[in-house]
Amino acid sequence: MTQDVSTPTHDVQALRIALAQGTMFEEIVGALRGVGLPTDGLTGHRRLVVRVTGVEYVLCRPSDVPTYVAHGAADLGIVGRDVLLEAEEDVLELVDLAFGVCRFVVAGPKGSLDRSLAEYQHLGSLEVATKYPRVAQRHFDERGIQVELVKLSGAVELAPQVGLSDWIVDLVSTGRTLRENDLAIVEEITTCSARLIANRASYARDRERIADLVDRFAKWVASR
Amino acid sequence: MSAAQDDLALPRGFRDILPTEARELHAIERTLMEAFERHGYVPLEPPSVEFARAASAVDERRMMRFLDQGNLLALRPDITTALARVVAQRYREAKGALRLSYFTTVFRQDRSMRGSEREYDQAGVELIGPTGTLADAEILALLCDALGSCGLRSFSIEVGHMATVRALFAGLPPAALDVVLEALRRSDLVGAFRAAAGAGMGPERIERARRALAVRGRGIETVDDVPGVTDLRETIHLARELFAGGELWGVPDLGVIPSLPYYTGIVFEVVSPHVGAPIATGGRYDGLLARYGADRAATGFGIAVPLLHQALVADGWKVSFDAPLVSLEGGDDRTRSRVAAALRARGFGVALGRVAESAGRAVVSAQVIDAEHVRVEGRDLHLDAAAQLFSDAAVKR
Repeated sequence: MTQDVSTPTHDVQALRIALAQGTMFEEIVGALRGVGLPTDGLTGHRRLVVRVTGVEYVLCRPSDVPTYVAHGAADLGIVGRDVLLEAEEDVLELVDLAFGVCRFVVAGPKGSLDRSLAEYQHLGSLEVATKYPRVAQRHFDERGIQVELVKLSGAVELAPQVGLSDWIVDLVSTGRTLRENDLAIVEEITTCSARLIANRASYARDRERIADLVDRFAKWVASR
Repeated sequence: MSAAQDDLALPRGFRDILPTEARELHAIERTLMEAFERHGYVPLEPPSVEFARAASAVDERRMMRFLDQGNLLALRPDITTALARVVAQRYREAKGALRLSYFTTVFRQDRSMRGSEREYDQAGVELIGPTGTLADAEILALLCDALGSCGLRSFSIEVGHMATVRALFAGLPPAALDVVLEALRRSDLVGAFRAAAGAGMGPERIERARRALAVRGRGIETVDDVPGVTDLRETIHLARELFAGGELWGVPDLGVIPSLPYYTGIVFEVVSPHVGAPIATGGRYDGLLARYGADRAATGFGIAVPLLHQALVADGWKVSFDAPLVSLEGGDDRTRSRVAAALRARGFGVALGRVAESAGRAVVSAQVIDAEHVRVEGRDLHLDAAAQLFSDAAVKR
């Protein structure tokens, strides 16, 4: 049963789970149902805190999930690894939930890769547009390539077409957006999927329940 | 931003500590250092600045570095490493146990510290020389005594063992084991097991490791055959005997893997229900001194003071005062100063004029009548009677 959240709910027994709203949300609800957690009240309204038996869900922007969990405002969270890599918060990554699969890639205009590299030889730096500056910086640091990052908030694939950048670092799932914008993958950085994460202190304090949930999620992943 | 606003801004991660909090932090410092003294630990203070390469235990992106006459320097990000250097340099030939303590600032990017994420106080001890479970137990018991003395009520010390963690992944090639341990120190269990599987560890052993790393409390009995577990249980047992509290505050928890890389044996973290990150971290780090040329065993802990403070406040803790602060007004300057001196000689805190900030301490206002008399709460009193009134006010509180 869901309750009115306008009254403070300080039930110490409830595990608080931060869920990433957005494209992955339906699959997250499916996973919760799959491990036998109550999901009534999670959809069809605009409440941000949903209380059901034994659990309290906090619905937030994907990029905020690691923050809530790292600070202990939520005990657990479900969010994409892409978000975790960019957030660099100290949270425990417990289970790979295997949905929401996507890849961080470096991409550039088709047919101009050679030119970009020649330019890199010449000017010593490449311009890279991205919504994920930390992921991009780490990747190029590891490669020993000097880049100038251009931070954008959306439609990164536009940047090379209008001369804002040489390359982009972006998340792709099917690769269709890249193809439609005449971009080709230069290099794959890493593959990402949804993760069950935990606050470190909560994981110590509430080990029995969290370990039990970890087992259930792992079994659910294996059974699919 | 106008010029004036620019002047008022602070760099990210630094903040002012206002009087009420500063006083609370000083009370914590006194209490902790007294507890360390009780167990025979003596203070040592390394400098705030060191060569950046010497501070290698901490990820360089989390340090504050700067150039000084061509040398890359760092504000010290970690005390344990600095103390290891001092010990190797100055106590290389020392016989017996060296017990050192510190309460000092560290500079490192640490988001769990919220507003003061780049500069915060750390308190801790290092026990250098002794090996074995008794030395580890001494450290655990001291940590419990120190936190308890501060007034912390709800906490547990989660105790793990790096030998156990290593044993669970035994047989992996050294390079692969490093990748696995690195992932575990970053709290990335998914990445650690994936790396282990990639290096040829079978699914059954991975499942066993996964289950073992989730063991906490009584479940420890199910993994008695794994190296380190016997040590761990013995240490907790000894610590409880050394420390007369008797409560269940040391909990076996094989999931404890601190982020700093130098731990080799027992490791532990203190968690409070009110704080999202561990309040204290510690353990045995036998290899660290050898790196500086002094091969001596060592164990210790560090307390993140802002987090301890946060937990204490959440526990309802407050600094208590023996007596209120007397705000002295009226009379001519000379008489007022004399009365103030007379009251201070009787052991009271006295401020001349109105008090803008008392930092949580009660303030009583007194009007000077003459060198021997003040008016308090509408009554004219001799200083002796006034002193009595102030003392009574303190007792009543």
